[in-house]
Parts: sequence; structure tokens; C-alpha cells
Amino acid sequence: MEQDVKKTVPDHDETIIEVRDLRINIKVDEGTLTAVRGVNFEIKKGETLGLVGESGCGKSLTSKAILGINDKKCKASGEIIFDADGLGRVNLLELDPRGKEIRSVRGKQISMIFQEPMVAFSPMYTIGDQINEATRLHITKDKKKSKEISLDVMKKVGIANAEKRYNQYPHEFSGGMLQRALIAMALVCNPKLLIADEPTTALDVTIQAQILEIMKELQKDFGMSILFITHDLGVVAGMCDRVAVMYLGKVVETGTAADIYANPQHPYTQGLLGSVHKIGTKNQDKLFSIEGTVPVAMNLPAGCGFYERCGKRIEGVCNVSEPELVDTGCGHKIACFACTGCPNAKKEGKANE
Amino acid sequence: MSKGDKILDAKNIVMDFHSKGVTVHAVGDVSFSVNEGETMGIVGESGCGKTTLGRCIVRAYEPTGGQVMYTTSEGELIDFLKIDKKTMKQYRKEIQMIFQDPYSSLDPRMTVLDIIKEPLLANFPDMKKEEMEKRVMDIAAKVGLNTTYLKRYPHAFSGGQRQRIGIARALVLNPRIIVCDESVSALDVSIQAQVINLLHELQKEFGLTYLFISHDLSVVEYISDRVGVMYLGKMVEFAPTKKLFSHPMHPYTESLLSAVPVADPTKQMERIPLEGEIPNPANPPTGCYFHTRCRYCTERCSKEAPEYKELEPEHFVACHRAQELKLKGFDYDD
Repeated sequence: MEQDVKKTVPDHDETIIEVRDLRINIKVDEGTLTAVRGVNFEIKKGETLGLVGESGCGKSLTSKAILGINDKKCKASGEIIFDADGLGRVNLLELDPRGKEIRSVRGKQISMIFQEPMVAFSPMYTIGDQINEATRLHITKDKKKSKEISLDVMKKVGIANAEKRYNQYPHEFSGGMLQRALIAMALVCNPKLLIADEPTTALDVTIQAQILEIMKELQKDFGMSILFITHDLGVVAGMCDRVAVMYLGKVVETGTAADIYANPQHPYTQGLLGSVHKIGTKNQDKLFSIEGTVPVAMNLPAGCGFYERCGKRIEGVCNVSEPELVDTGCGHKIACFACTGCPNAKKEGKANE
Repeated sequence: MSKGDKILDAKNIVMDFHSKGVTVHAVGDVSFSVNEGETMGIVGESGCGKTTLGRCIVRAYEPTGGQVMYTTSEGELIDFLKIDKKTMKQYRKEIQMIFQDPYSSLDPRMTVLDIIKEPLLANFPDMKKEEMEKRVMDIAAKVGLNTTYLKRYPHAFSGGQRQRIGIARALVLNPRIIVCDESVSALDVSIQAQVINLLHELQKEFGLTYLFISHDLSVVEYISDRVGVMYLGKMVEFAPTKKLFSHPMHPYTESLLSAVPVADPTKQMERIPLEGEIPNPANPPTGCYFHTRCRYCTERCSKEAPEYKELEPEHFVACHRAQELKLKGFDYDD
């Protein structure tokens, strides 16, 4: 593989990407959906950040905003600062979504794996052709060389018989194999950041375990960072260094995976973790469940988005203003008025914003 | 008949599908029984035949062979597969299904009221309209639907609400058995917990028997009394839940358990990876179906199919080496 990408990784700044106050509004017939309402996070080199939340919380929109591939109806504001090779530190949101600059980033420096491999591939072209597309666009125009590179990556992701598979069409692949091919396609340019949007949700547990294992290994080999988007808290626990929990377009809690699982502070995080049954624990009579459903993000009332469903809500506080994400002192940030802070933290809660 | 008696006894169920001159053995010789008031879980990967098995039980498919012995509330024994369709209709009231996808399993052109009422119309055409609506209202309230919204169409409801509609539709006939085919798989975790709790409450209240088909092992472990594991159309292991999860006796179960993601970064299990993919059921391997992917495979396994038998009380396994292997499962707290 071409190694030039790896060498130019700057060593002065460990942070690869920083999302600041990202907001996405979507115009629909009924009005404006405030789908993402001020998301903040950063990802460091070689680290995996898990973005967790239920459907409709804005996690996929956030990830697509990074690549500038959201629908035209979505209006994004805020900053997504990426340390791009050849461009320096740029705000990806300011780049023309059809321009030259973003194209040198998209698919090369930041690439993405999608949820349904069956949909992500075109049925009209062979797998080899589709992996090659990225290689030819970003690495080399030489047909022979690009095939070599593609085959090499296919072998790395564990596709047996890569030479034969190269000339096959997507329908000849099983779901698990296709997901491997998708990962190969994403990794062929040796990206700095890989966005994985529910990469294993459509797969069986045994295949899921294989794919997660491969992703971990490849992360070590390639030294890339991963933004791992999922609703599966079990998968996050095994994959991620840090976790950001999203609710209704906002990050409500973020911290190291160990911290979040051991000391979840935000009532939503607690509810989410409580509603997953752990095998081997004594069967409670009832699973913990969060009452109600996620509200539609349109004309939201003032106050915390979780107010209606929250068991710890304080009337007159939580429904008046919206809590900001506050660092409790140990990197564990919480956006909640009712939380006293992380037990690990020193008592110097300072505002993040 | 009282709680704990056999309500359903499936024997040697075989279901073959024919397509383009190829025969696919979707379910091959599966036997199990379900007791009244219990939840029996069936797990396995996609394509292992668990849905087909569920559909054979309610005779949505006509199985190629086997028996489904059903004990009526009067204690009479009936073979679902022997009786004609007309007689079957009478018993369909007592065995209902809840489906996976709350979006495609409800007719978008019917109001929720009509959807829940439809089984009553089909089975009790003489019932008075008022009586019917009252019954629908009662059931809707039971499953936690707001009864003022019943004149609305399914699109106005969220995924969790729609699944409640599906549950109400299954319950309206007062069934004794409900086959839940991946009934909570499409829901978000917090909603999933709500629906699981609801299923639990309804079971207690009406003494329902569940056949719970799912690929989600955590959910199955939570809800089931006994669990069967399927692989390539065959039942490979069947045991009380705790026994199966703590002391699996089939290598496939062991791998399956080790692949379950655990929501605790400090308790990650050692994975026992399965090599390769599930073989083509139209052309299954010789001997034990699992031998191509089994790490304990011996020569005998590739030649001779193991018998499915009760090796320990209530613990059925189909593996030649089940008794000598010490397989790993989950550690239980108590």
C-alpha cells in the first residue's frame, strides 16, 4: 500500500477531528426539524469514539455532515474542524460539498461504512470494480497497480479467495462477506478517520463478532480513528475507548467507556443501560424502561429535551432552561441539572462551553 | 389442564421447500415440547429455520412431515397437521402470532380499530358490533394504547406503539399460545424494554404460553424458561435457560454465547470465533451439520450424524462429544 498518507500525520496535535456546536435543521412540509441541536465532540488519533443513541437522535446526520453527504434539505451550521492533508485544519462545513477540496477528504482521509452492505453496493458492478473506484480516484490511475492494492486490502479484511471474489457481483456474497468488502472499500485509501454507521446491526451475532474483531485489528494496523455509531450498548462496550450518548440531537453525556458503564450519570444513559438485560444477572421482575417515546424535534419547548421522560426532573429548573454539557473534572461530561457529578471527579466542575 | 402441563408437543417436524429442482431442508426433524404458561425461546442465526419452525407450528406452512400435538383446554389431544383446514380454523383462535416488523405487518389502509377487530370479524361473525368494539377497547387499553386514537391509521403511531397494536390484535381472540417471531428485534432498546415488560405482564395475567423466536440472546435469556438452539434446520441443543447459558453442551451454543456483546467493558468474554459461514441448507455437510465450523470436530463427526438425545435431565443435545467436552458459558451471579 502507498505509505505517504501515514507519514504526513501531524504529531503536534493529537486531535484529528473536532465537532463544535453542530446544528442541523431540516425543512419539511410541517415546518423545521431541529434534528441536531448543538453537538460537540472530538476524536483523537487512533481512538474509537462510540456515538450511541436511539433512532432519530441525529447520530447518522451528524456523521454524514462530516462528509458533507447529507440531503440538500439539511442545513448544517457550526464547525467541523478536520486536520486534512494538503489543506491543513479546515472547517469541513465551509467546503463546497461538490468541490475539489472535500473530494480530496471524502473517501480518502475520511471514509465511511454503512449499515446495510446490500444497499451500499451497486448490483451492476463487480466487487473488485467498486473497491477499485476509490483506489483509482485517490491513489493511482494504473489499472494493474490499483488491482493489486485492492486485492491486498480484500485479503486483509479476511475475504478468502480474493482473486475469485474480485470478479464477483454483490449478490454472490453473503451479508458478512459483503460487509467485509465494504470495509475493504473504506480502508483502501488508508483513511485517518473511519466512520462506521451501525456496521454490524444487520448481521448475525457470530458474524458481528468476526467483523468487530477485524475492525479492531485493522485499526491497530492502520492507526486510524473510528467514529462508531450504534444503538447497541453491548457492541460499544467491547469496541470503544470513549462514548458519547445522544438524545434528541444533543450529546447528553460523554466520557470514557469504562466511566460511562460504571457510573452513568445522566438519567437517559442510566435508563438506556438499565433497559439492556445482562445475561447472568438475576432476573428482575421487570426490565427498567424509560417511559414514553422520543418527541418529534419540531417546535420543542424550552428546557431539557428529556424532561417529559425523566424520572429526576426538577420542575421550575429543567423545563425552563436547557442544561449545557459540563465537565465534571475527569473528562466525564454531563448535560443535566439533576446530576451531582461523576464520583471519580475532583470537585472542580467547570463549564465546558 | 393445569399450568405446567404439555400444551404443545412437536415431534419430528420436517419442512422441505422445493425451488427450481432444488430441495431445501429448512427444518429437519425437530422435536420439542412447550408447557402451559411458560415461555420457550428459540435462537439461531438467520437462515437456521427458526421462523419456518414457528410457522409450521401454527400451520401457516404445511410441514412435509411430523406431528404437532396440541392439548385443548378440555384436555383433548389433537394433531394440528392431521386435521382439515376448517377444523384448524377453530383452533387458530387459540394460537396467534406477533410479527417482527411493526411497519409491514399492519395494513396502512385500515384504522387501528379495524386492525384489532379483524380477527373477531373473521372468527365471530355473529358478535354484536358494540360488543366487538368494547372488546377491542379493553384489549387496546390493556396493551397501553390510548383508546382515543384508535380511529387513526397505523402511520400515526411510533414503532413501539405499532408493536402494541400487533400484540392487541393477537390477544383479542383470547389465545392460549402466542408465537412471537422476532417481536422486539426492530425496536429501540428503551422501547424494547417496554414491550418485553408488557409481554411479561400479559403472560401473568392471562396465563399465556409464548414461543419466543429471536436471534437476540440477551432478550431470550431474560424472557424464556427453556431455550432451544437451532443450526441449519436442526435443533442442536435444548435446555432450561440457566442451564443452557451457564453450561452449554453443544459447541455451536458455546460459540454463539461467546459472540454476544456484553454491555460492560470490564466483563468482555473470550470470543470463540466461528470460521466461515453457515453452509447452504440445500446442500448440507455430511455427518454432523456443524462439523465444518466446529473446533472440536473429529473424524466421526464428519461421517456420522449425532443423535439428538437427553443427556442430562431436561437437557437435550445433538453432539458426539457433548459429554466429554467442558464448554464455557456465562457466569451467573448466584
